[in-house]
Amino acid sequence: MTVAVSLLFGAALVGWLVPRFLARRVVSGGDPLVAVVAWLASATAVVATTIVGVVLILLPGHGFGQSMLTALHNCWSSIQHGSVPNLEATTGALGALLLLGLGVRLVIVSVRSAQRRARTRADHLAVLRIAARREGETLWLEHDDPLAFSLAGRPGVVVATEGLAKQLTSAQVEAVLAHERAHLTGRHHLIIAIADALANTFPFLPLFKLAPGVLRELVELVADSAAVRVCGAEAVRDALLKVSRNGVPGTALAMSGTSIDVRVDRLTHGRAPTSRRRQLFSCGLAGFTAMTLPVLVASGAMFAVVTVACPA
Amino acid sequence: MHGLGELEAAVMDVLWQERPLKVREVLDRLETGKKLAYTTVMTVLDNLHRKGWVTRELEGKAYRYEPALSRAEAAAQTVRAVLASSGDPEAVLMHFALSATEQESDLLRQGLRKRKRLAAS
Repeated sequence: MTVAVSLLFGAALVGWLVPRFLARRVVSGGDPLVAVVAWLASATAVVATTIVGVVLILLPGHGFGQSMLTALHNCWSSIQHGSVPNLEATTGALGALLLLGLGVRLVIVSVRSAQRRARTRADHLAVLRIAARREGETLWLEHDDPLAFSLAGRPGVVVATEGLAKQLTSAQVEAVLAHERAHLTGRHHLIIAIADALANTFPFLPLFKLAPGVLRELVELVADSAAVRVCGAEAVRDALLKVSRNGVPGTALAMSGTSIDVRVDRLTHGRAPTSRRRQLFSCGLAGFTAMTLPVLVASGAMFAVVTVACPA
Repeated sequence: MHGLGELEAAVMDVLWQERPLKVREVLDRLETGKKLAYTTVMTVLDNLHRKGWVTRELEGKAYRYEPALSRAEAAAQTVRAVLASSGDPEAVLMHFALSATEQESDLLRQGLRKRKRLAAS
């Protein structure tokens, strides 16, 4: 029971504190890709730790001799005999049911949204293929507003307007296209889809609740730094300023207080992106740390409780 | 399926350069590398008409086809359709400088403001 409760406590604490920590790291210049990896790994770890915690509650005394089914059977028979089943069995069974329900919900939500995404994508592509001119991997629309976006899929496409080419220098256009291509090669649309599904299924901890918003901003930062690698920070920043200042008719885009601020600040004051190899190493390290963190926190908590409760 | 889509784009390209055209005239102006059958082009134009991309008028025995919208109008409409869908939370497309504001989180900006305050003091 103690182990199980500490695990649940560890999972909750990680789910509570990790978002704030990662945001602080990114704002003070940390690699956004490392933050994305750490966020997703933490989410996985929190879910896994919670499952292990609940299973341990169902196996009292951690003696794996008594199976979950026997525990459920005992619980059921004590209900039948009019007595209150023991606390562990009840909470364990309730937890397991809750987790199972959430798991089913996660699957349903993911499948439904994948279908919806595929439909929207097909609709957009059908129109774009005809209305736009294809030039290499980019689709160009004859439109005066400077716009660029990437459409998910295999293969995804980058769409830009001729207004973009008219109002930006060629280096800036290249920066915008590099940014959009980075979304496609990094599978950023999929990351956002996962974040949305997690937030829909587990709307309790900040790690899940804030995932859609924060990960949306983080992947923009990731794509920005990919574009910086190709075209330099200045081109990316100037392109961003020009495009966002122009805005889009019909969509109020207030410059102050949007994620554009964070991006411009980073492009102005941020350090140059690290080498690919170093980035890969940091991502691996962050992922590993995030995966083990709930268990480490849990052991820490248990150790503290044991020290306080049983002074030798 | 994909090939048909490419063909539709090529046919619209022809019609946007010169209009109105009969099926035979579209066929003559298509530069697709290989020779296409008359009926193929007719089917493509029929599809485009059904989808609302072209209008047609009977002239003698054959239809004359004309784009329903200019290329710029079609582009504008596409942009509008795409922007209208960007508000939904589905992760289909990402803009360069337009994020779904309601989905945004304050977490990063709070950090930024805090850092700026610190730098100012």
